[in-house]
Amino acid sequence: MKITKEIIERIEGEAALEVEWEDEKIAFAKLKFFNYRGIEEILRKRPLYDALAFTPRVCGICSHSHALACVRAIEACFEHAQEAVSLSQKARDIREIALNAEKIHNHIKWYFFSVLPELEKIDNPSYRGEAFKKPRWFLAQHAITETLKMGAIFSGQWPHGSFVAPGGVTCAPVSLDVLNARGILEKVIAFCEETLFGFSLEEFTGFDSAVQVMASPSALSWGIDTMIRHEFDRLGRSHDRFLALGDSFLYEGALKSAKTTVLPADIKYVSESLAHTFFENPTEGYTYSKTAMYKKSFFEVGPMARMMVAKEGLIRDFHRRFKDAALTRVTARVVECAHLLVQTKRLLEDLDIHEVSLIPPKRNVHELSAEGVGVVEAPRGSLIHTINVRHGVIEHYDIITPTVWNLGNGERDNLSVVQKALVGLDSLTKTDFIVKSFDVCSVCTTQ
Amino acid sequence: MKPNRKSTVIWIQGITCNGNSHSFLNYSNMALFAASFEMLYHPLLFTAHTLESLLEKPEAFDFLIVEGAFTKEARYLQRFGRSFPEILEPLANKARFIVCVGSCASFGGMFRLRDPQKISGALFNAKEKGGYWEEKSNVVNIPGCPAHPRWIAETMMALREEKTVLLDECLRPKEIFAYLAHHGCLRNEYFEWKVDCKQLGEKEGCMFYEHGCLGPNTHANCNKILWNDISSKTRAGSPCLGCTEFDFPRRALYETHKNMSLPQTPYGISKRAYYTLAGVAKSFKIERLEKKLIDEDH
Repeated sequence: MKITKEIIERIEGEAALEVEWEDEKIAFAKLKFFNYRGIEEILRKRPLYDALAFTPRVCGICSHSHALACVRAIEACFEHAQEAVSLSQKARDIREIALNAEKIHNHIKWYFFSVLPELEKIDNPSYRGEAFKKPRWFLAQHAITETLKMGAIFSGQWPHGSFVAPGGVTCAPVSLDVLNARGILEKVIAFCEETLFGFSLEEFTGFDSAVQVMASPSALSWGIDTMIRHEFDRLGRSHDRFLALGDSFLYEGALKSAKTTVLPADIKYVSESLAHTFFENPTEGYTYSKTAMYKKSFFEVGPMARMMVAKEGLIRDFHRRFKDAALTRVTARVVECAHLLVQTKRLLEDLDIHEVSLIPPKRNVHELSAEGVGVVEAPRGSLIHTINVRHGVIEHYDIITPTVWNLGNGERDNLSVVQKALVGLDSLTKTDFIVKSFDVCSVCTTQ
Repeated sequence: MKPNRKSTVIWIQGITCNGNSHSFLNYSNMALFAASFEMLYHPLLFTAHTLESLLEKPEAFDFLIVEGAFTKEARYLQRFGRSFPEILEPLANKARFIVCVGSCASFGGMFRLRDPQKISGALFNAKEKGGYWEEKSNVVNIPGCPAHPRWIAETMMALREEKTVLLDECLRPKEIFAYLAHHGCLRNEYFEWKVDCKQLGEKEGCMFYEHGCLGPNTHANCNKILWNDISSKTRAGSPCLGCTEFDFPRRALYETHKNMSLPQTPYGISKRAYYTLAGVAKSFKIERLEKKLIDEDH
């Protein structure tokens, strides 16, 4: 048996991939993440609210998601200590607008800065990148900047804004601020319609057939065409099991699905494992990435999972044709981006700024002793923060990131999501793209 | 003087969250930047070179950008099977300028807290001089968690064009860090008249007295140039966390640290001056400042 070792680059950091080959095909693979920063340890024994400032720094690309998961976990601590926390609709909406800005920006950035260059390279090995060079790159960079500017009207800054507090949000925008945000969002929508989708938002979000998407030349149709030419319409399939534990405008409650059958899910079935990590065994372990399972099975999280549990028409059609192949996974991110744009536009139009921004808990935080869980559907999937607090001081802080769900390591008889997607592949170039199709965030994986 | 060729840039990472990379990608004049700089390598982007090829045969280049905290401990940081010194040293020796972006690279930042003996900034370990290196003459610190994209891009442009870039004792460019985050804060009047912010989520009141705002003690022009060209922490009703200072992150960030029930004085203001003035200001009840900023009755 042959074993090869590769480095997967440009995944918000890098990972080492160890591959076992049999008959020129991948029989087993281990994905290893080395750079652990110890945020859960750093938070131990610190005042509870410090977590609001620390946890966004888990990740430079999804800092708002971490802030939101953290504040929800703190609010759950108050609730478990018999102190109900109620949020105004305005606070809920502003949290969602800021989170959506982060997701929209993430999907545009990932598609133009990662997916397209990687596909160009597969298509043409002499390709040397387009960052800081091609007009398309600058247009996407501008759209990203505008998206985050829209969000920063509410969150103050991106990345690492701290715009949430227990009971709501800290900002108190005036109606003209909201109008400004709407104007900026329109520019982002125009970019996506013209360059990414090749259709108006209304047309695109009404599609329910893969064929419709291909009718217009766009960054998306080029990507789909290229992926099909390189067999990504059948490669990269995993367990075809999906999980979305956080809330979303796309569906009601926490859900899971096996293939196309959608059922309710409950966070109590989530388990975390330190198998194969340096934490469990400093000499035998080989990664800092933990593993997360639902009822002892591996589930895929992220935009494809959200689209599948929401029974989104277009992605259901891709899934019908291509199952959970890399092509469906990549396309789901672009399709989610379109729905996020529509939803954010709606939220901005309906935002009632006259409501209160924040209803702070009455209980003094220094008297708070409880446990609480906060869940958010982050750009890459379900993000879970669990806090154990005693007299306002953090006893234990645990974070399960979306990439832990998708990129942790399983066993030979129980393959993780990424392992399942890699087994059977016959080329390293394709392996590299399949790993990247999960929109890997190396820093989140190991916090 | 403006050189007639593009300046070359290599961006590497220590112990990081990638926040400075993503902040930099928000720079709103990126075409202007790209006209003057050639990014040879950036870890998050598809660039013309790989890090391995650059390390194989290091050649002289202009800007080494380092994001993330520094460490010599291989078990804390490895990239491409190499320890951080094995990546940093060959490149640092060939770089004209070394620009530390973010508080981690400058002072050690948040990730230093894991092991303050072994994780630091380039030339500082928090406020102590001597970090990864004891001395190095071509280092500029651009702290912040993250650093603002304009701080990064414009400092690089100024250095490239050989403009005078005055640095403070923390090696921060003075044109950025001589300002305080307090300057330009929309709540200044509440600070002047000592009107406290009763609770977060409202437009009124100063967050310095109860909510831990470090704006008057933090060197940064956030409220002059604004974040994402539009806002800032304090403009979004959130206290300044002091993220550009060597002691970021302090303990209990959302509480004002008090001595005998008095907050610390603003940067460079004597206790006598500040508490005298504060006492006088507080003795007046300014009716306008006690009311809502926008009175919805009229």
